[in-house]
Amino acid sequence: MAVVEGLLYTKDHEWAKVAGDTATVGITDYAQEQLGELVFVELPATGKEFGVHKELAVVESSKAASDVYSPVAGEVTEVNTELETKPELINEDCYRTGWICKLAITDKKSLDALMDSKQYEEYLETL
Amino acid sequence: MQGSTSTGEFVFEAVEADPVSSVLYDEHVKLTSKSRIAAFAGYLMPLWYSSIAEEHRAVRERAGLFDCTHMGVLEVSGDEAAGFLDAVTTNEVGGLKVGRARYSYILDAAGNVLDDIIIYRRGEDNFMVVVNAANEPKIQSYLRGLLAGRIVIETGRADRKLGLHPTIRDMRAGDRSADRRVDIALQGPATIDTLAKLADDASLAECVAGLKSFAFVEGRLAGIDSLICRTGYTGAKIGVELFVDPEHAATLWNRILEAGKPLGVLPCGLGARDSLRIEAGLPLYGHELGGKLRISPFAAGYGWAVKLGKEFFIGKAAMARVATTYDMEVARLELPATRGVRPVRPHDAVLGEDGRCVGWVLSAAKVQEQQYALAYVDRAAAGAGKVLGVYYLARSASQVEQGRKQAVEKGQKLAADLAGTVVSRFAKY
Repeated sequence: MAVVEGLLYTKDHEWAKVAGDTATVGITDYAQEQLGELVFVELPATGKEFGVHKELAVVESSKAASDVYSPVAGEVTEVNTELETKPELINEDCYRTGWICKLAITDKKSLDALMDSKQYEEYLETL
Repeated sequence: MQGSTSTGEFVFEAVEADPVSSVLYDEHVKLTSKSRIAAFAGYLMPLWYSSIAEEHRAVRERAGLFDCTHMGVLEVSGDEAAGFLDAVTTNEVGGLKVGRARYSYILDAAGNVLDDIIIYRRGEDNFMVVVNAANEPKIQSYLRGLLAGRIVIETGRADRKLGLHPTIRDMRAGDRSADRRVDIALQGPATIDTLAKLADDASLAECVAGLKSFAFVEGRLAGIDSLICRTGYTGAKIGVELFVDPEHAATLWNRILEAGKPLGVLPCGLGARDSLRIEAGLPLYGHELGGKLRISPFAAGYGWAVKLGKEFFIGKAAMARVATTYDMEVARLELPATRGVRPVRPHDAVLGEDGRCVGWVLSAAKVQEQQYALAYVDRAAAGAGKVLGVYYLARSASQVEQGRKQAVEKGQKLAADLAGTVVSRFAKY
């Protein structure tokens, strides 16, 4: 299961890539593997604010609909509209072309609770 | 708690237990990651190996191999076996020929479906009864309760008792000396060619090729004593269920995959099993049959398997009423699944032409560019060719905030999110 160094992770298998005040958010390889072939992604509205662990997006495979929670507190500045017609990008490359949205971080402290890649790998071992 | 209430309803509360490994678990972990193995009906079963879509396609175009060893397999034997099965199931058993199988239902006295089953007649006095994994403890308890007189059934006769005492045996358990059986299914057009490579003699291969639907033969595949039955749960015109000793199940599983490899045979998980049966219109107990909606065999599209002309079967009086009064039924819907179309899901509302809710989705699956839904709808709305709408229920907190409903009652008027067409109730591929 691919885990990328330099990203931050949640126990719900979201990742966040922090650059300055912006966090790019997606779901991890483990999550996409569990969900199977994705067929629909509901993206958040730009400008909307989310607290930590709020329902940010919904990803649906042919078998289940799953919530994607915001790993950090922030306001949506950009969404990956490509996912509207190509939800499979998340299956193909969840850490790059399969990103879901960008958040302007409103509470930097919310980053502290996230795991680094090593901690996330250890966490995966326990599952 | 368990027992029969004054209304004839059979109450059974399953004991919560940790899931156990299927007989083929060691083979599954060689073929797929542990993260794709999940608890289902008390067993750890593979969800998929390659992908649901690929495995689905394999069954339609070539063949797929399924672990069905979780299915309950009971033997009902003794000179009162046929009479007993005729009394406790809805279809006709006495007239069933040896070497043939029949689909049937077990009901309680109130007419609730306890399970849908297949009865295989192996001899005049010897039947193999295959029951759903999730229902197996309940059915064993029910049948044994009837035999022991713990559950008393009003038969309309003076003695008020069933008075039939066959022997019931769990065929998946027992020691090596017993005739033990677990189910492995090979489904799809390449089934016969794959089995021909494994049949111990040419005459068996020929016999299997000529088997009619719901007929079976006993013979040796890869040296393993097998019951080869032309039954299945995929809607494939050609397919078999193989019943073998649990000790040899892994060997046969591997030999089939080996022999089938050049023919494109793939191992298939629960995901494809579900999408195949939905596409074919086959009901799953608890979804299109029984369950909270108490869907009857008539509403499920199987009125023919309830023989109201039989002198007696448990639940007959209730079935006679249902047969003339049921007003909703299961319909198969075809909907688009092109890119960007949200999949329909159980409980989504089905809308009539005027936008009023006429029922709900029970199960749905994506099959290439289509999605198929089995829905419970007003009979008047269910004719093939009719266009029905679907309203997606809220699937996230933000959708609820935006006013999307979390449940829809019949008659409520809504705007459809997606339109689909009612197609024939069943399909064979």
